[in-house]
This record gives sequence, C-alpha cells and structure tokens, in this order.
Amino acid sequence: MASFARPSLLRQTLATTRSPILRQNVGVSQAVAFHASARKQILPPLPQTLNGTMNEPVPVPKPHPSEGSYHWTFERAVCVGLIPLSIAPFAAGSLNPVMDAVLCSLLVAHSHVGFQAAIIDYFRPQRVPKFHALCVWLLRGFTLTTAVGLYEFETNDVGITEALRRIWNA
Amino acid sequence: MFSSKVAQQSLRRLAVQQPLPMQASMMRASPAAVALGKGIQSRPVTSSPNTEDPTQILAKQRLNRPVSPHLSIYKPQIGWIGSSLHRISGVALSGPLYLWATAYLFSPALGWHLESASMVAAMGALPVAVKIGLKTILALPFTYHSMNGIRHLTWDLGKGLSNNAIIKSGWTVIGLSVTSAIALALL
Amino acid sequence: MASLRTTSRLFAASRPLFRPATFARSYATVEAGSTDAANAGPEAKLKTFKVYRWNPDTPSEKPTMQSYQLDLNKTGPMMLDALIRIKNEQDPTLTFRRSCREGICGSCAMNIDGVNTLACLCRIPTDTASESRIYPLPHTYVVKDLVPDLTLFYKQYKSIKPYLQRDTPSPDGLENRQSPEDRKKLDGLYECILCACCSTSCPSYWWNSEEYLGPAILLQSYRWLADSRDERTAERKAALDNSMSVYRCHTILNCTRTCPKGLNPGRAIAETKKMLASM
Repeated sequence: MASFARPSLLRQTLATTRSPILRQNVGVSQAVAFHASARKQILPPLPQTLNGTMNEPVPVPKPHPSEGSYHWTFERAVCVGLIPLSIAPFAAGSLNPVMDAVLCSLLVAHSHVGFQAAIIDYFRPQRVPKFHALCVWLLRGFTLTTAVGLYEFETNDVGITEALRRIWNA
Repeated sequence: MFSSKVAQQSLRRLAVQQPLPMQASMMRASPAAVALGKGIQSRPVTSSPNTEDPTQILAKQRLNRPVSPHLSIYKPQIGWIGSSLHRISGVALSGPLYLWATAYLFSPALGWHLESASMVAAMGALPVAVKIGLKTILALPFTYHSMNGIRHLTWDLGKGLSNNAIIKSGWTVIGLSVTSAIALALL
Repeated sequence: MASLRTTSRLFAASRPLFRPATFARSYATVEAGSTDAANAGPEAKLKTFKVYRWNPDTPSEKPTMQSYQLDLNKTGPMMLDALIRIKNEQDPTLTFRRSCREGICGSCAMNIDGVNTLACLCRIPTDTASESRIYPLPHTYVVKDLVPDLTLFYKQYKSIKPYLQRDTPSPDGLENRQSPEDRKKLDGLYECILCACCSTSCPSYWWNSEEYLGPAILLQSYRWLADSRDERTAERKAALDNSMSVYRCHTILNCTRTCPKGLNPGRAIAETKKMLASM
C-alpha cells in the first residue's frame, strides 16, 4: 500500500520530462558564463583509460630498493650531512679544502636527487616519454659538468665557501 | 488489493506522460479516461538491436570525462604552499649552482671570467641597494630551504606530524627564514 | 505541514482544480515562487552556493559553475542538507553521492570551499556575504556533476591485499589473538572509511595517481604492516619498495590536514618509510 503514493518515483519521472516553459520558471539557478576548468592547462592528463577490469588490482611493481628504501635512506643521510656543513662556514668564516670538497659533493648529490624527484613527479615517462628521457639525460650531463666544474673551482680557485664569503663582503 | 493495483498502474501512466500534454488532457478528458489507457504514450521509433560491444560502452564514456579542477581551486594552506616553496627554493639554489659550475668549467673555452676574483670585483662595483637585493634573493631560498629541510627531517623521524604542529612549524619557518635572510643580506 | 501547504497552493494557483496531492507536491518544486530567492522574507538568510556541473549526456560542453540560493533559516546545518535541498526543491538534475549523512560511509566526499571533506560533516558557513563553492574531489575524472570515478582508487586498494595473511593457524585453533598493546597500534588506522578525501588532496597523487598509491591506500597498507597477527610483512614491504608506490610522498601533509575523520595518513606513511628503511 505504501507504494501507492510513493512521490519519489513520480517526481523522478516528471523531472526528466520537464518542459522548457517550466524550466524558465526556475529563475534562481543559472549557469555562470565562465568555465570551471582552467583555459590553458599545463600538461593536461590524458582521457581516462583503465587497464584491466575494475575488479582487478593494479599491478604491483617489482621491488627495487636502490630506487626505493636505499635511495630514501641515502637522501636523508646527505641531508643530515649538509646541516653541519652549511652551519660551519658561518662560525668559521670558510671551510678547509677537504670539508669544502665534501660540501661540494654533498651539494651535487642533493641537487641531483632533488631535480630527479621533480622530473619523476612532473614528466612521467608514460605521458611524455621523449621529454622525460631528455630531462633525465640533461640532468645527468649537467650533474657531471657541475661536479667537474666544482672540482676545477676547488683545485684552481679559493673554494666555494671562501668565494661566497668574499662576494658577500665585496 | 486489486483496486489499489489498478490505481497504481494508472498513476504510473500519468507519470510517464509529458506534463504539459497531461495538463491539457486533464482539462479536456476526465482522469478516468487517462487512467484507462486512452492516449497512452506511444513510441514510434523501433528500438534497434545493440551491435556495440557492451564492454566498450563504459570505456568510451570514460574518454569523455573531464578532470575536476585541482591546484586552482584548492584552498591555499601553509602545508602545501610551504611544500611547493620548498621545491621552488631548492631549484632556485641548485639551478644557479648547476649553471654557474657548468659555465665555470667551460669558461676558458668561452673566454668568460667566472673565477672568484672577477666575481668579487663585479659584486663590488654594484650600488649598495642592488647588492642588498641580490644578497636577499640568494639568501632567502637558502634560509627557507635549510630550515624547512630540518622540518622535513623531523617528520621523517615520525615526529611533529600533528595538524597543530604542522601549521605552527610552517609559519615559524617562514618567519625565521625571512628575518634571517634579511639579516644575512645586511651582513 | 506538507499537506497544508499543498492544499493552499491548490487554491491559490490558477491550475486545474482536480489534481492528486502527489502531483501538486512534485510540481511545487519547480514552480515560480517556491524557491527561497523568490519568496525571501526580510529575515531570510540567503546564501549562494556555486556548484560544479558537468553532464555526460552533453560531453562536448565544458564543465560550468551553477549558482543556487538557499535560505539558511530553512536549511539544515550541513552542506549535505543544502545539496539535498537544492536537489529536492530547485534542480533535480544535480547529481552527487550520499548515503549515511553521519560521516561513516564516505560517499559524500567532495571539495567544499577549497578543502576536501565529507559534505555531511561540513557545516555551512553562516556568513551569507560570501558564496560557497562545491567541486568534486580534485583531479579526478568526473562521472557527472559531483560524482568522481574512484575505480582506480579501489583497484589500488585491492593491490595492497587489505586482509589478514597468515600461514600458521592460531595455537588453540580459535581466534588469532593479539595483546592490548598490539591492538592499540591499529587505533587511528582501522577507522579509515576510504572516502578518498586525503588521496585527492595530495598533489603527488594528482600528478602520479597511476603509480603512486596515495595517502588513503598507504594508511591502509600500514594498517596491515602494523598488525601483529599478519605474517606477510616482508612481502608487503617488498611490494612498496620502489620509486613510485610510496616514495612519491614528499610529506606535503595535505592528507593529514584534510582528513574528515581526524586520522593521520601522513604519520602512517612516515612510519611506513621508517619500516622500509630498517629492512
């Protein structure tokens, strides 16, 4: 008996067949002229596709500790090492050549890992395979030239902490 | 029970009709006529057998779907704004280091003078305001990235991860880094 | 009350005299003058709600923001009340998920005023000068209006094997027991309702949702890593030990900030990283 006067069912059927005249009467709700998505997106995601059926789990990647846990631990070790080395020059004025060299190598490692993380985050190989490869190789090249350049600077010039001190006081 | 079923059926018939024609028909004909099935909705188009692969219907619909807005609509909060500043400041420090070191490596071939003596001379030749400005631009990313880096390291130890602590430490780092950067620039 | 209103309308409006009460009620929802904006009294607290709209039936049309006005005096206190009222009285085509209205089902997760939350747990800001903006969960594929497609999210949940894995039977052949201390480790983890608020607030998940598991799934993953009864901890850890599954997390901590249940996915991920590092 309850279904006799079930208004929800009727309301649904009526709602779908609303005529334009009735729609005009609504009055309050109007679509705004601007769009809800940005006009020009940077690297917009591709149309949605799903691998496999919705009941299958996503594939589990193979364990790769050198890109996973070892990488993470190494990164933290570099960060921790950088703390005393970036405070010491403020206390001592500049560092001796050995500490300076350690600071330089840690900076290069830290920078490389940081850039690498940014490349993986923003330029996925599935989305932009060629640009991803270009970025990876560009980073490797630049890291190498930076390392050699810093080595040259350490051996032929005054070292980066001393150089920074002099520039700061110039 | 039978009468209620008939009433229910007739109501359904009323419902499937267009509302405006229904109003008109109700003006003219009695509701009983409608209920008995006169003027019932007819569908002139015959339904065709669906030759489409049923598993592909949803897949095709998926291709049309828009992506909901994200970065542009998310509320600016110290957490993610601070995090993006961390990456930006890191690039602002490492980028010039990479460019300068690479340029230094190739400077003999290019004939550029990037050794410390010439850089000190170039810096010394600048007016004071420009010097302070340049130093601030260099010092601010350094102080922010260093202090926020320590914040990140404490998080990696599993400490300071409550909402309150995150917000407080975020603003503390911003305040400390700005003041220390200005102090460094005036050094 | 409802019947009173419908009868008075029946006499007032210039409509055919005969009409069953059910019809009068259905029509009343779209009639001019039935909306709050049209018959706002002097004490009405009219608030504007801007809602993200996109219809899959017209896929070429871009998503738009549609505004609705409601009198807060006649609306329940929560955002879900407002949405239901809009759907009932102003625009039945507005589409959103909801079920329990008390924050336990996780259906009504959406982005309200820039923050991901459950509409049923989010109070309507009483400040009527500012409008409220309601979007679907950020960076999700939209099925319709406020309904996102969470298929990938559930597929990822399935991939972490969210169930107890044991090879040895319990000593007495009854239950798998654990000490109160071990049980305590699961507090703050088991309460997750998988509403996807945290995952879709995470910029890392926005950019890399295909491979990065996201905070909600990682919290669930840690719930099984932390369970003293589970015997496949090494296998679970190995499944996470790659560059994408966990380590796209850069401790942005939007997840912890936004969780409508007050849980801490950020802490769970930090603990997971510590566990992985101590292999």
